[in-house]
Amino acid sequence: MPSSARVEVAKELLDKLPRTFLPVLNQQLKDWDLLFPAEQRPIRATLDYLGRLDDSEREALLSPVKALEKRMNLPGWTAAKDHLGIEDTSVLARSPLYPEWRVEVEKLFDNINASVELPKSNKVVVSVLPAGLPLESAPLWPNLARRGRWIQLDRSFRSGLDAMVTSLARRPAAPDSEPVEHTWVLESVSHFSELADSPNWTVLSYEALAAARNEFRRRMNEIEKDLRSADETFDALRHVKIEMLLGPHLEADRRIREFIRALFLSGNGAVLFNNSFVQWGASEILRRAEPQALVCCFGIRPKLKPFSSLVLFEDQERANPVKEEPDPAGSLVDIQLLCDYVFLTTERLSNYEGRTLHIFAAADSDVILVVAPPSFPSLPSHDATVANITDMAISWLAA
Amino acid sequence: MIRKTPLDRRTLLRLAALAAADHLSAQPPKQDPGAAGRKAVLVTLGGIRRQETFSLEGVVNIPRLANDLAPHGLFFPNVMNDGVTAHVNTISSIVTGAWQQLDDWGRHAPRHPTLFTYLQKQRHLGAADTWVVTSNKAVTRNIGVGANVILSKQLMVEAVERIILGQSPRRILVRDAVRDEMKAIMLAEYERIGWTMPSASRNVTDALVGGLTDFFDGPEGLTGGDEFTFVMAREVLRRLKPALMVINFSGVEVAHSGTYSLHLAGIRSVDMLCYRLWQFLDSEPSFKGRTTMVVMPEFGRDPDGSTTNGFFNHRTDTKICRLTWMLALGDAVREPRVEERTISHIDVAPTIGGLFGVDCKQADGKRIDGFAI
Repeated sequence: MPSSARVEVAKELLDKLPRTFLPVLNQQLKDWDLLFPAEQRPIRATLDYLGRLDDSEREALLSPVKALEKRMNLPGWTAAKDHLGIEDTSVLARSPLYPEWRVEVEKLFDNINASVELPKSNKVVVSVLPAGLPLESAPLWPNLARRGRWIQLDRSFRSGLDAMVTSLARRPAAPDSEPVEHTWVLESVSHFSELADSPNWTVLSYEALAAARNEFRRRMNEIEKDLRSADETFDALRHVKIEMLLGPHLEADRRIREFIRALFLSGNGAVLFNNSFVQWGASEILRRAEPQALVCCFGIRPKLKPFSSLVLFEDQERANPVKEEPDPAGSLVDIQLLCDYVFLTTERLSNYEGRTLHIFAAADSDVILVVAPPSFPSLPSHDATVANITDMAISWLAA
Repeated sequence: MIRKTPLDRRTLLRLAALAAADHLSAQPPKQDPGAAGRKAVLVTLGGIRRQETFSLEGVVNIPRLANDLAPHGLFFPNVMNDGVTAHVNTISSIVTGAWQQLDDWGRHAPRHPTLFTYLQKQRHLGAADTWVVTSNKAVTRNIGVGANVILSKQLMVEAVERIILGQSPRRILVRDAVRDEMKAIMLAEYERIGWTMPSASRNVTDALVGGLTDFFDGPEGLTGGDEFTFVMAREVLRRLKPALMVINFSGVEVAHSGTYSLHLAGIRSVDMLCYRLWQFLDSEPSFKGRTTMVVMPEFGRDPDGSTTNGFFNHRTDTKICRLTWMLALGDAVREPRVEERTISHIDVAPTIGGLFGVDCKQADGKRIDGFAI
């Protein structure tokens, strides 16, 4: 069955699920077409699994969470509630039992995941630092270097980047995979957006999304100091038409469109700073779309201007006569940790852990750091070219 | 998982012991000013992890706190936030001595009396003696019930927004225009932006205008929201000499936008501001020898690799997010040392209350041994 085929859930099963699950599940079923194949498969498999259990087995599995819910003094969410607003989430998070609830939910899904078989494939994640950073100011990726191996290139990485990304995106697709699971690129400035030439490339550019980002930022800046206002603003942003703000490459694909909307609504600086957009976008793409190849091209962010920087959701250019200046030193500090975070995201996602080849490169440098999983065949023991590294990555993806 | 090493016990103890030896030999014996003459300044710093502060890697970000202040103070490396790790809830919990579960926008008052209330009822102090100066706009009059509450950074934000949005005759974000806009809002509309000043008077207005002028024209130069909070707090302390002031710095919260370098810059900034604040208190005759200053982060931040995106946020139920530190300086410090036992945020109100001879009857926290009460 294709992953996109709609899933039907028996009402009896819905009635037996923990009530804190229903709003999210209902939302997922309602927005089924907006989910990525990698999201649809486990929902289907989980519901199939729960449906196959007999009543006593199911109750034994679900009862710890349900027992906690009874003690949590939750609002009267009905079975039809189809999303959790900020206020709902806030009620949940403020419950003294919330930490316990989270632990039980994690245990429950660990148990379910152990019983559900899903396809797995090898992955490649490339993180690229932009040109113009003061690389000599600090050791690169000190935390990651302990886990990987440095490889000397014959020239700076920048010279081979386009060819590497193009080759990754044009490699043959894995059987039973969909184009949106092939190759994603997140970039600070628009470059690969112009090169993407097939449905197997999905490119999101911070620069190209400026119109949509500014609209979200403008509305978020208007939130008054209360939950109702925040919920109202977020509800409005869930429905605002963003098609015309996205440009021709992205406006037609409803699923990508909604991914961008969700990314902007999920905070973490995605509408404010290029590198937060790249890292948090990567985290969400890895979690949701699970592409086989992901390329993260970080950039240099501007220095914060006096006064404007107090209003983070404002456009720094507005009414401020101070000229915008890049902040390469600050950007390097930011990106170093954000590269760690891209790596750590793959460590905690079961479909990436132990099967992801990481390549960390700086455009201006002729050494790269490679962190390979234990099952990776072997890394070059001598100097290499970017083409060698690309071939190695593509072989890994095909294995 | 990438791990960072916390500053170990031995290093902390050595640091404190060495400094204490120097310090004690040079210090004159303390004179007890008595509860009536005591003053306290409580400084909360937003969310800061130990790994960026009191750890082997992090100590570089807090040279003043670690090298200049901690050796003279009572340092608690283990302070546990067992409540909701969000700003309003934590600050409410600190000032009430009981864990609060409020919405985090400051719209509701805490469910227990605050330190301000206890001081007003048991010591008959007026609003003029109790101040909150905060960078966080959610720390409103509801948290400082009965006290004067100044949302310093919010004043700057309002002024900047009004200029940007064309709601002011001033059109460009330049120094003089921002100063004039801030002054206009402060004099005519302070209540609209969330300030409350039950003790408003000519003296108070002069102090606030003085702080504003100092910020724009003073030798420290013009910098960010926490610096403005510091200058306003210092001016109120200098001119009005309150018994209790709560200061909240929130510049480190730029972490929510994912800019680690700016988060670190925020930590370095509050490190310097705490140092300057203590220098001021220790040199001003009205405060010297009778003032206790307590500095503490509200909580840590989330661990690297967490599903909540690490340092960006502070909502995991983890030790890295919940466990923080506290430094007490001044009057209440019998002798400088590191106190390793775990205390919690709700112990602070009963302890500061104790300095003033006040019993925080409804607090769940306990007075901290080691303070000279």
